[in-house]
Amino acid sequence: MLEMRDLHLSFGPRTVLDGIHLDVRPGERIGVIGPSGAGKSTLLRLAAGLLRPDSGTCRNSFLRTRLVFQDPRLLPWRSVAANLDIALRAGGVPAGEIAARRDRWLARVGLSDAAHAWPGELSGGMAQRAALARALALEPDLLLLDEPFSALDPAMRADLGKLCADQARATGAALVCISHQPWELAGLVDRILHVAGGQVRVQAAAHA
Amino acid sequence: MSVPRRSKRTSRRWSALGVVLIFAGWEMAARLMGPMLMATPLEALRAIGTLAGDPGFWTHSRDSLARIAIGVGTGCGIGFALGVLAGHDARLRGLLEPLRWLLMAIPPVVVVVLAMLWFGLGSGMVIFITILMMAPGMYVNTVKGMRMIDAGLLEMGRVYRFGAWTRLRHIYLPALAAPLTAALLIAACGGVRLVVMAEVLGAESGVGYALANARSTFDSGRLYAWVLLILALVALLEFLLLQPVQRRLTRWQEPSHA
Repeated sequence: MLEMRDLHLSFGPRTVLDGIHLDVRPGERIGVIGPSGAGKSTLLRLAAGLLRPDSGTCRNSFLRTRLVFQDPRLLPWRSVAANLDIALRAGGVPAGEIAARRDRWLARVGLSDAAHAWPGELSGGMAQRAALARALALEPDLLLLDEPFSALDPAMRADLGKLCADQARATGAALVCISHQPWELAGLVDRILHVAGGQVRVQAAAHA
Repeated sequence: MSVPRRSKRTSRRWSALGVVLIFAGWEMAARLMGPMLMATPLEALRAIGTLAGDPGFWTHSRDSLARIAIGVGTGCGIGFALGVLAGHDARLRGLLEPLRWLLMAIPPVVVVVLAMLWFGLGSGMVIFITILMMAPGMYVNTVKGMRMIDAGLLEMGRVYRFGAWTRLRHIYLPALAAPLTAALLIAACGGVRLVVMAEVLGAESGVGYALANARSTFDSGRLYAWVLLILALVALLEFLLLQPVQRRLTRWQEPSHA
């Protein structure tokens, strides 16, 4: 479970989070919307352990938290397949299982033919799909998605959103997805939080 | 209107022409100066054959190669290790900056003279100055490379639980490949020149010592033969070892292979 209690965080004079409370339980799928600079990405970075709050508590008892960033962040000097292999190895996946898992997930995001390409040879959308495959192949129990579909066309966006939701349902994983557009979250999440001014303003059930 | 083509690769044909022009210039200069002052390229090549039959040739070559390998290897190793540490820690970077500046500003010949006083003649002195002169270049390139590593990739490495070895192997070393191989190239070629200079000034064996002997006996054929051999060594290091390594490590930056 992820428990965030009364989180405050400032970058210099700018207050980014101003008393946020958030609980994420196993199997929950939560969407976070809000204007730019509202603190949405900061929330995910705290959950992923990349930042520490100035005050308040952030406890994450999920064992395999993985974050898909806004940009793909693939290692440019390793092939697409090697990018997945390295992450799987670092994630403790048994050596004998890595190739099969990597091939399965590259196929699921439609990148089987690009397995041996350099990341620099991929389009922005393809690179983001590879980054998503890298996260999903690790079968995370908490998947954090920081606007990962913004570089994709609407059809691909819907397909990959469904892929994430199906995977979360199948494995009982929790999911938190940031988006600027509430309609992007349809079918992907159960609950939507509206974050503004560093606080959760509204919580609502999502309708497919 | 056509746009002139800009190729990233150096043209080998033009490089070959450059070599031919150098040899032609050398031939002309040798004819003008006479055999006492300058051997012709052909005389130098013939002298290499004579040198190879001399048992001292192999001893001098072995001594110099060992000094180059130890001096350049240790100097670059120290420069790299300190560069990685200083790349992480601004305090250490500040602490090392005056020493870095001092070593890069001081003329190598001054260091040779001082090292001769401290260590006497021989391998110790030559290796010491090579380490001292080679480390700063590698240090500067490593620090610069460390500071240019994409912070986003380091963050990704944290999220995906990359251990220290995985980070070093898959993030730091590939990111540093271009500046490090460039620094190694400069260090290896500079190291050869430095070792020979130190040997000319203060050693009792080695290529530089043999070069100094040839000069003192006005044996210009032998002297130029050694010069050709030194150039051949630098060419071997650069074209057969370091450039292929550099190309392999940076091949992901080449245009699409598709």
